[in-house]
Order: sequence, then C-alpha cells, then structure tokens
Amino acid sequence: MKIITCYKLVPEEQDIAVKADGVLDTSKASPKINQFDLNAVEAAVEIKSLVGECKITALSVGGKALDNPKARKDILSRGPDDLTVVVDEKFEQLLPHQTARVLAAAAQKNGFDLIICGDGSGDLYAQQVGLQLGELLEVATINAVSKIVSAQDGIVTVERALDDEVEVLEITLPAVISVSADINEPTIPSMKTILAAGRKPVTKLAAEEIELAEIPALVESVSVLAPKQAERKQIIIDGDDEEQVAEFAEHLRKALK
Amino acid sequence: MMSKLSNVWVFSDIASRLPEVIAGGVELGEKVSAFVIGSEDEIAKAYSLGATHVYYLGEKDTSKIIEDYAETMAHAISNGDANTLMLLGATKRGKALAAKLGVQLKAGVINDASEVSVANGITAKHMVYGGLAIGEEKIVSPVAIVTIGNGVFEAAEADSTKNGEAVSVSFIEPKAAIKCIERRAKQGESVDLGKAKRVIAIGSGIGKQENLQMAADLGAALGAELGCSRPIAETEKWMERERYIGVSGVMLKPELYLALGISGQIQHMVGALGSQTILAVNKDKNAPIFQYADYGIVGDLNKVVPALISAFKG
Repeated sequence: MKIITCYKLVPEEQDIAVKADGVLDTSKASPKINQFDLNAVEAAVEIKSLVGECKITALSVGGKALDNPKARKDILSRGPDDLTVVVDEKFEQLLPHQTARVLAAAAQKNGFDLIICGDGSGDLYAQQVGLQLGELLEVATINAVSKIVSAQDGIVTVERALDDEVEVLEITLPAVISVSADINEPTIPSMKTILAAGRKPVTKLAAEEIELAEIPALVESVSVLAPKQAERKQIIIDGDDEEQVAEFAEHLRKALK
Repeated sequence: MMSKLSNVWVFSDIASRLPEVIAGGVELGEKVSAFVIGSEDEIAKAYSLGATHVYYLGEKDTSKIIEDYAETMAHAISNGDANTLMLLGATKRGKALAAKLGVQLKAGVINDASEVSVANGITAKHMVYGGLAIGEEKIVSPVAIVTIGNGVFEAAEADSTKNGEAVSVSFIEPKAAIKCIERRAKQGESVDLGKAKRVIAIGSGIGKQENLQMAADLGAALGAELGCSRPIAETEKWMERERYIGVSGVMLKPELYLALGISGQIQHMVGALGSQTILAVNKDKNAPIFQYADYGIVGDLNKVVPALISAFKG
C-alpha cells in the first residue's frame, strides 16, 4: 500500500505577538509541524503496521520554510519512509482551495492508495484541504475519522465520530481521509528515529515539475485581525474569608438575574 | 441599504441546527430553498421555520452517508440562480458537504463563520490562529458555500400556518461512494454547551477528580452546565471531549460563565469571551483569567465553592 501523509508548517502559536493595531506578528514564531498533522502521520504508521507491505511518503507544499533541514528531519523522524516537498515562492500563504489543488497535482505525480490529512491547520483551521483534495482527485473522501478499525490492500474500515452518532465506514481505496485530533496520541520521536530520519530520501519539486492546472479565484483574504475585547468590570476580591465570599456571591446573584 | 440575494440554499444534517440555518437564509435571501432528507414531517418543519421552497431528497437511507448527497445537491444548485449562497451548519458533515460542493460547483468555501454578509459581495469572518485573530474572507466565485457556527443567527420560530409542496429531487450516485456498515449512538449523554445559558468551567486548579462533585453541586444550585479546559478533557480525561471550551472545542455564548481554577490561556478564553458576564475563582492572583473577568475572587476553591453552594441551594 502506498500512503501519503500531508502536513503543513505553521507558525508556533505561542510566539505569535498581537500588535497594537490588531495585526499578528509571526516574525518571531518559527515554523513547526501543524499539531493536527501529527495525528495523520501517526495514523499512517498505524495502518502500515496493519498491512505489512506499505510505504509512507510525507508530502507538503509551501514556501522556503520547507527547505529547513531540521523541519524535514522532524517530519521524517515520525515514521514516513520518505519526504516530498513542493516548494515555490508563490506557494507561501496559500488559501485552502489552492493548497488542495497543488497537493492534488503532487499526489498524482507520486501515486497513492491512501492519503491521510489532519483535521485542519493551526493557523487557518479551514478544515477543507483533505476533503477538497479527495474531491479533486475524484476518490472517496471523508473527514472526522476517529479510529482505524482495520486496513488491508484496497480497503480500510474506520470509525467516524460525529456530533450525534458514530459511523463505521468501509472505504474502498484509493481514498483521502482526514483524521480527528483524538484519533491517537502522536509518538514522540526517539533519538534513534531522529538519527535515522537524516538518512531518509527527500525529493524537492518545483512548481513546474507538477502538472498544476490554473487555480480558479474562489476566495480572497480581506483581513486577519485580533478581535476587540469587550470591556470587563474587573472587580476582583482579593481573599476568601466569609465576608469576601459573600460579596462575591452577591455579584454572582446579580449576574443570575 | 442591506441587499439580499434572490435565493439562499440551506441544509442542516442535525435537526436542532435547522432553525438557525433557515434564519440565516431568511436574513440573507429573498427566497430560502431548503434541502430536506427524512420524513414528511421534516418538510413541514422546514416550511414552518421560513423556507420558501423545499427540495426533498427522500427518506433517510441508513446505508448512505449524508455526504453521498453532494452530487445531488450540487446538481440542484447549479440549476438555480448563478449567483447564490449555500448555508450549512458547521458540523463535521456540514463541513464535508461544503468541501465537496466547493469542488463540484467551483465555489469558495468558508467554515465556522461567526458573521456572514452579502452587502458587498459575500464575506464571512471566522477564527484563525487558534482564536488569536479573526480572518475575514471574501468569496469571489458565483456560488458561495458557508458553514455557520452556533448562535450566529437567532433560531427561527416555527409558524405552522406556513407550508408548501416539496419538489422531489432524484438521487445522483456519487463518483466514489463510502459504505456505512454500522451506525450507533454516541456513548455518554450528549451535551450542547454552545446553547447553555449558564456555564461553569472547570480547569486544572480543581486539583483532583473528586472535586468535580462539588462543581456539579454548584452547577445544580445555579442551573448551570459544566464545561472544562482542554487538559481536563484531553489529558486528565475527567470530562467528555464535548465539554471542553476553546480552540477546536466549544464556543460559548452564555449569559453567565463562572471559571473554577481556570488559568485563562487565550486558547481557552476565546471560547468564553462571548459570555455576557464572566466570573472567576482562582487562587493565583496573577492568573490571566482575572483580566477577562467582570467579577473575580482570589481564593481557595475548597472554601469558596462550598460557601457558594450553601448560598444558592434551594
């Protein structure tokens, strides 16, 4: 089985600063693997253990951050057998429908039986790329996969946890699945896997090397701004003796009305 | 002047979300065309809530998944107005349908919209960077697909005098179907915290699992639902995932939010900032939660909570 697991590098959210005008400053936030994509990689590793004969290719599209050797080693230390990155200046800050189209072209070049994506990305959290990718490739596609029940050549059976029920789905390959954040606990790479990652093959493709059709204009970003916070009263009682708790209880009583 | 689209399509995979989705259609469109899968009663329900046209996709078929109807819906939409909007609830199924329709109709998609406007093209806002910011996007394709979060539109009231005939739509086989071999109710009681009027949020400051009982007692005394921070659900697993508040969890809009031992990380707070009144109990005076609170008390939960229970019970 040929598995592709897709990932995105996103700015470390702890290091994103909010400027006075509400604009986000990501200049000090180094790129890291999107947390939700680690679930996808882990699911790929789990499926590999079920089917035996299997190769996992990690795939990402984006800008120059993908050239960083440390970031490449990081993804490879988590289980993929090799890595393909499609790097181009014009792939910086892609919107979801654009990412899906670039990934589709790259996946077709690589070949696949199963593509696994995460729930969404920590930056845009559009939750569309995996689904649109599957639809563009005209294969079976579904989101919210919460458990791998079984996997064999040509077919995977999964559970899908929805708001009101759980569906057990039999998916005939080729397919694209997006996994939920609670499907697994991503394994922390060991020193051994980190060292081995440096020896795994990496293929870098330029935009011209994939057959990318013109991407339609569907969505444009207008602004990204920190929300204005509501003014709060900020009446803070410093201490928990009987009178102070009674005072707090009085505020609570008023708020209940 | 607020312009409207001549027609807005609506669909909700969950019955309880339909009144809000239809309300959105009524606000943004002259006509509201609802897709309905299910019984005759559900057709009547859609009309009573304000749909002007119902497109009936047939009875529920347990071997099909809702996403199998994407081709059928896309076909109906493409036979209607060239410039149009489809509104769905921002559920897992809603998002899967949205993405499929987006590709099939070459339409722009925005998920989890917290605001939708058709005044100047179709624009919508949604949370980005884990809640640190709000992204505003404009859909520039003729067809726009938007999934809407809880509480974006005030639920439409049913009016049984409104009714109509449904148009039957024949099913189009999807290109690649997925077989549903089993369907079962989700374990544990289902909660919809997003709709609760009063919420008590429990954070790591609660200390130990036994202390959940006193939080539950206070909840009973105040008529409040219980929610929690992500670590309480995901790391400690003391409460169900459905109850965690914040990024990729529940977004609250209650009248009252009372935080017990919640430190106030922004990733949690983005789910609570829509509350009318925020109250907090925390033993750490410097906890960020106090910056977001209307009323706070710096104190020991084991002292404050029992005192509040006796002040409010019966």
